[in-house]
Amino acid sequence: MSRLPNKDNGTGMTRRGFLVAMTAAGVSFGFPRAAFAAMDPATDDGKPLPNASSVYEPSLWYSIDSDGKVKVNIIRAEMGQHVGTSIARILADELEADWDDVEIIHVDSHKKWGLMVTGGSWSVSQSWNIYRQAGAAGRTALIEAAAKLWGVPKRLCHASKGQVICGKKSIGYGELIAQGVNRQFTEDELKKLELKPNEELKLIGQQVRGLDINNKTTGQTVFGIDANIEGMVYAAPILPPTRYGSKVLSVDDSAAKAVKGYQQFITLDDPSNTVPGWVVVLASSYYAAKKASELVKVEWQAGPAAKVSEADIINHGRELLKDVSKGAILDTGDTNTDPVFAKAASTIEHEYITDTVLHAQMEPLNATVFQNEDGVWEIHSGCQWQSLTLPVAAAALQVPEDQVVIRAYMLGGGFGRRLNGDYTIPAALASKALGGKPVKLVFTREQDLQFDSPRSASLQQLKMAFDGEKHVLAMEHHATAGWPTEVMIPVFMPKGTNGQPYDPFSIAGADHWYNVGAQKVRAVSNDLANDTFRPGWLRSVSPGWVGWAVESFIDEAAHHAGVDPLAFRLEHLTAEGRNAGSGPIASGGASRQAAVLKQAAEMIGYGKELPKDSGIGIASTFGQERDMPTWVAVAVQVKVERDTGLVHVEKLHVAVDAGIIVDPNGAEAQCQGAALWGLSMALYEGTKLVNGKFRDLNFDTYTPLRIGQTPEVKVEFVKNDYAPSGLGEPAVTPVAPAIANAIYNAVGVRLRKIPMTPDDVKAALKA
Amino acid sequence: MKRGLYSVLIAVVVVLVGFGVYAWHPSIAPITPPAKDQFSSDMIAKGKVLAAAGYCSTCHTAPGGKPFAGNYEMHSDFGTIYSSNITPDQATGIGNWSEEAFIRAMRTGVSRDGSHLLPAFPFEHFNKMSDDDIKAVYAYIMSSVAPVQQTKKENGIPFPLNIRFLQAGWKMLFADTSDFKPNSDKSAEWNRGAYLAEGIAHCGACHTPRNALGGEKRDQMYSGAAIDGWIAPSLTASSTSPLKWREQDFFEYLSTGNSPFHGSAGGPMAPVVHDGLAALSKDDIKAIATYFADKAGNVSEDPAQSPALTKAVAAQKLPDLRTHQGARLYAASCQSCHYSKQKLVKGRPLLALGSAVHLQDPTNLINVILDGFRANQGIKGVVMPAFRDALSDEDITALAAYLRQAAGEQPWPNLKQRVGEIRRQPRFEQ
Amino acid sequence: MAKFILNGKPVAVDVDGDTPLLWVIRDELNMTGTKFGCGIGTCGACTVHVGGRATRSCTTPLSAVEGAEITTIEGLSEQGTHPVQVAWQKQQVPQCGYCQSGQIMQAAALLKDIPNPTDEDIDAVMSGNICRCMTYVRIREAVREAANTMSMQGGKDEQTA
Repeated sequence: MSRLPNKDNGTGMTRRGFLVAMTAAGVSFGFPRAAFAAMDPATDDGKPLPNASSVYEPSLWYSIDSDGKVKVNIIRAEMGQHVGTSIARILADELEADWDDVEIIHVDSHKKWGLMVTGGSWSVSQSWNIYRQAGAAGRTALIEAAAKLWGVPKRLCHASKGQVICGKKSIGYGELIAQGVNRQFTEDELKKLELKPNEELKLIGQQVRGLDINNKTTGQTVFGIDANIEGMVYAAPILPPTRYGSKVLSVDDSAAKAVKGYQQFITLDDPSNTVPGWVVVLASSYYAAKKASELVKVEWQAGPAAKVSEADIINHGRELLKDVSKGAILDTGDTNTDPVFAKAASTIEHEYITDTVLHAQMEPLNATVFQNEDGVWEIHSGCQWQSLTLPVAAAALQVPEDQVVIRAYMLGGGFGRRLNGDYTIPAALASKALGGKPVKLVFTREQDLQFDSPRSASLQQLKMAFDGEKHVLAMEHHATAGWPTEVMIPVFMPKGTNGQPYDPFSIAGADHWYNVGAQKVRAVSNDLANDTFRPGWLRSVSPGWVGWAVESFIDEAAHHAGVDPLAFRLEHLTAEGRNAGSGPIASGGASRQAAVLKQAAEMIGYGKELPKDSGIGIASTFGQERDMPTWVAVAVQVKVERDTGLVHVEKLHVAVDAGIIVDPNGAEAQCQGAALWGLSMALYEGTKLVNGKFRDLNFDTYTPLRIGQTPEVKVEFVKNDYAPSGLGEPAVTPVAPAIANAIYNAVGVRLRKIPMTPDDVKAALKA
Repeated sequence: MKRGLYSVLIAVVVVLVGFGVYAWHPSIAPITPPAKDQFSSDMIAKGKVLAAAGYCSTCHTAPGGKPFAGNYEMHSDFGTIYSSNITPDQATGIGNWSEEAFIRAMRTGVSRDGSHLLPAFPFEHFNKMSDDDIKAVYAYIMSSVAPVQQTKKENGIPFPLNIRFLQAGWKMLFADTSDFKPNSDKSAEWNRGAYLAEGIAHCGACHTPRNALGGEKRDQMYSGAAIDGWIAPSLTASSTSPLKWREQDFFEYLSTGNSPFHGSAGGPMAPVVHDGLAALSKDDIKAIATYFADKAGNVSEDPAQSPALTKAVAAQKLPDLRTHQGARLYAASCQSCHYSKQKLVKGRPLLALGSAVHLQDPTNLINVILDGFRANQGIKGVVMPAFRDALSDEDITALAAYLRQAAGEQPWPNLKQRVGEIRRQPRFEQ
Repeated sequence: MAKFILNGKPVAVDVDGDTPLLWVIRDELNMTGTKFGCGIGTCGACTVHVGGRATRSCTTPLSAVEGAEITTIEGLSEQGTHPVQVAWQKQQVPQCGYCQSGQIMQAAALLKDIPNPTDEDIDAVMSGNICRCMTYVRIREAVREAANTMSMQGGKDEQTA
C-alpha cells in the first residue's frame, strides 16, 4: 500500500484529500518523456502519434511538439465519460491551443502521476485547477519566448488558437518550440499564474465531439479484452463456491484432455489471498480453454459463506443497528438527538431495504499479464484504480511495486467495478506459474457476475421528531451495509465523532443539506456481508441507496406534517449554518438544491391534474459528497397498474446544477445515463444472495433496463459560474425516491424496498 | 383335439412355404462395372437431377463422409440403421450391380444378392418412377459418382426384426406396389407434380403417418408424421398453420427454403430443398406446388390481406417484461429478427404465423430454438443462432410457452418435460 | 477447415465446428470490433451480419456459417461512413462504446428492412441490445437520423437511376 498516501489521520478520502495527493505529484515537473506506452483513443490502433523533432513539456500533464501538436496526459480511465476530451479542453482553453492540435493520451501507471483513480465523479472537478494552471504555464512560457524573439514587452503579446501574437507579428507554438523553449515552473510560480477570467473561456462549455467517439463507431477502440500479446495463451478460470475461504481438494482434467488446444490447468497459489481456491485452465484459444474448463472436475472445501443468503445479511444488519454502541457517528453539528426525541410531540420511524445490485458492465472482466524483457510485469487491462490494484498485484506476484505496470486500455464500462482490480490477479498468477509467459484470462458473463463486487444489500432506519405543530425538531439516520472501503482500503476510512472509522461511500448522502435541528447519522459495517462477498463501489455509491431512503423519508415526513412535499423540502433547504456551503464548488449550499427542485417541478408541471392512478413524484440530492455537491432534482410521472402491480415511468425529468459545464454534450449524456441507471435500479434490476452466490448470473435473469423500457428523459442544467463538480453519478441518486414518492401520490402506498417489484406493489395495495 | 392341431400345423406350413416362395428372390449375377461411355450424356445429366431430387446422397452420406458411401445413421422406432454404400465400388458398393439389379432394388427393395432391404429405403416411392428415370439414375451413379471403398456398419436392429427374410412379410402387408397412374381429371402439370412427389421425391415417406409396424397409412396421405426427431407437418387441409398454403407459397418454400407466411425448411426438410429439389427445373417445382396446393384444398385468398396476418402482427405487442419471463427472453433473444410490420419481410419471420408454433407437438419449435438454422438450412446463407448451450430448459420452456400463447394456441402439455426430452434426443443432421 | 466470406474476403479457419463465430472472428481472425457480452444471445454486443441479417455471433457455431457471407463492424463501411455510423458520431451516442458495434450492426439491419421505423419498431428491434451506459435516448435519436439520411440518399439514387 505504499503507493497510497497515508490518510489514516481522520480526514478521510475526501475530494480535497485527493486534490492534495494530485498536486503533490505535480510538483516534480520536468520528468523525462514517458518511457511507458500509453493509449490514444482516437488513432486507428490506439497508439499515440509520434512526436516531431523537438518537444516542450511545460508540465507533467502535457507536451507540445515542434509541429504544434499538444499531447495531454490523462490519468483517468475512459469508460464512457469522454473524460480525456473534457480534461484536455480545460487545458487547451487556458493554453490557447487550437483544438485541432490536441491529442489525448491515457497514460500507463507510473508513480510520477500520483494517485491514479477514476471514480467519485471527481475527474473534471479535480482536474479543473491543475490543468488550468498547467495550460496557463505553457501559454506564459510561449508568450515569453515570442516576446524575447522579437524583443517586445510580454504585455504587448497574447496567445490565441496555437499562436502568439505581438502586434502585427504572429508565430505558431510549434515554430517557437522548434527554436527552443524549456521554461519550467515551480509550484509557487504556478499558483501565481494568472488564469483567464471565466467569461474569456472559449472551449469550455462549447459543443465538441468527444475524441474517443469515432473509433467507438467503427470497432477500432481497443478495450482490455482486445489486448493481443505475441505468444499469449488463453485462460478460462474455474471459480470456487465461495468468494473467500474455499480450498481446492482435487482436480481431475482427464475429460478436458480431449479438447483440441487444451494445455493444462493451474491451481492458483495466491499470496495476496485475492482469489483463494481458484483453478485456471489454459489452452491455445479462449473457446478451447472455456470448453476444457467445463470438463475439468474440481472438488472444493467451501468457505462458510456457502450458507449465507440475502435475508441473513439483512437480519444481521437489523441486529447490528439495534446495538447503539456499534458504528460511527458522523459530524453533522448537533448530534444530540436523544433528548429531542424524548420530548417530541410526535415521531415517525421507517425502515428501508435495498437488494444487492450487480455492476454487469458490458465488457466481462479480463486481464492479460506477462513479464516483459526488462523483468517488469505488465498488466494489460481496463482499470479504474491503478493505485489500488498495483500493490495487490505486486503482493500476488511477490515483487516490488516498481516491477509492475498497468497499461492503459479503454474500459467497456466501469461503474465502479474496475476500481477493485481483483480480476487481474488470476491472470498474473497464471503467468507467473508459466514463468512470465503472456496469459490472457477472460471471465464468462456468469463468472463476471459471480465474482462481482456488488452494491451490498443494505438496511436503513430513519427517525424524525416533530413538535406539536408538526415542525421538525430532529432526525436520525442509521445505515448498515457491506463496506467496500473497509474491505479493500481501510486506511481511507475517516473517523466519526465517536472515534470509530467509517466508509464514507457507505453513508454519504445521509449528511444532507436540510435543516432538521439535531441530526444523528450513524454508519455501521455489516461484517457478515463483508465476510460473504466483496462489497463494491457501484455508480453513485451510497447516495444511490442512502439518498433513496432520505428522499423517501422526507416525503413521508412532509405527509406526516401535512405539507406538500415540495414545499416541505424548500422550507428546510434554508442554506443556514453548515448548510450555507463554502468554497468554489459548494458555495450557495442548500439554496442551490432548492433551485434545482423548483426547476424540476416546473419542468414536469408539478401540481397539475393527472389521470387516476397516475402520480408525480419529486426528489433531490446533492450528488456524491458535501465537499463536491452536484445539485440534482428529479421529477417523474408514473402510472400504476393496480391489478398487475406494474409501475410505468412516463416522464423522467432531471434538473442539474454542477457549476460550470465543461462539455455540455458529454454532461447531458452522463445525466441521461445516470438517471436511467437510477430507474433501472428502482424498478428493473437487482438480485439476491443465495447460499453465498448471487441468484442471477446472466442477462436471461439479471435484467437491467432495455431500450423498450426507456421513458422520455429530459435534462436541464443550471447556468452559473461555480467551479465544476462531478456528473458521472449524481443523476442516479434522486430517481428511485422520486418514483417511490410518485407511486405514493398515485395510489397511496409507500414502498420501502428497491427494486420496487410488481409483487411489492400488489402486496402494498392489498395491505 | 389332435386333428385340430394338425390342421393348424398344416396351415402354418402352407403359409410358410407360400411366404417363402413370395419372399425368396434370386441373386442377380454380379457384373463387371459398365464402361462410363456406355451412357449418353443426356441420360447422365437427367440421372444427376433425379438423384438430387431423390436426396440419394442425403441419406447415403455420413456426416463429413464421402458422398454416396453410406453409413448415414438413422434412428427408427425399431433401432439404428446405417445406409448402404451406393458408390460404384465393386467390393463394398454397387459397382457390380447390373441395371436389372438396380431396377429391381428401386422397385421392390431387394438387393442384388436377393436379400431384402429395410423399408427405410423408400422403394415403394421409387417404384412409381418410369424405367427410363430409374435407368438414368443408374447411369449417373455408375458413370459419375466416385467409387469409395467403405463397408456398411451393422444395423442396430434387434432380433427378430433384423431377420431380413421377414422384411418380405412387411412388404406383403404394407408395401404399395402399384405403378404411378396419371389422373386424367387433373392437368398435365398436376400429374407431373404427382409423379415427382409420389415417386423420386418420396414426400410421403416423411409426411404420411405410419402404422405401428412402420407402414405408410395411405388413407392419411400427407397428413403429417413424426420423423427423425422432427414433425413433418400436414400438407393437406388438416394443416394447423393459421394461413393456408397456396400454390405460390409451396413454390416459394420449395424454391427458397422459406415461406414468409409459414416458416422455414429446417431439420431433414432443409436438404430436401437445398440439396434435392434445387436440382429440379422451375417448372418441375411449380408442378409439385400445383400438386400439393390441390392436396391442401386449392386455397387462393391472399394471406397478405388476411385477418390472421393482422392478428399475428398485433400479437407482437409484448406483455411487460417484468412480469413475463417468456416475453422477456423473447425481447432479449428473438425479437430483433422476429419482428415485422404488416408487409412481411423475408428473413423477419413472424413466429405467430410459424407452422412450428401451431403444431400440436412442440418438437419443431424446440429443435429450432436448440440448434437454430445453419446457412444451408431455411433461407440459404442466413442463420439463426443456436440456444442449446445458452438457455436452460426452464428458459426455453418459458419462451416456447409464450410464443404458443401469443399465437393464440392452447398451451402444450408437459412442456418442460418435453423440452428436456427433445434436448436429449439424438440429432440426425449435422 | 471451415470457409466463409468475411467482409468481402474469403477466409478459412481450422477450429472445431462448435466454436462460436464470435471467437473465430476475434481470436482466429483478429478482428476485435465484435464484442463478447453474455455468451447466450441476450445482450447483442456480438451482433454481426450473416447473409445481410443481424445475427448474434456468440450463439452461432462456426459449422452454421459454412459458405455464408459475414459482415462485421469493420466491414460495414470502409471509412466509418455508413449512415448509421455517421448518425452515431453526430449524436455522440457511444459512451464506453463496448456495446456500440452491436448496436450499430443491429440498427443498420433494422433500417434495411424497415426504412422508416416508428419508435415502437426501434424499441422492438433494438431491445435485444443492452447498453449498460444506457445511451438508449440517443440510440433512438440516431436511428431516426440515420433513417432520414438513408431515405434522402435513397431518393437521390432513384432520381439518378
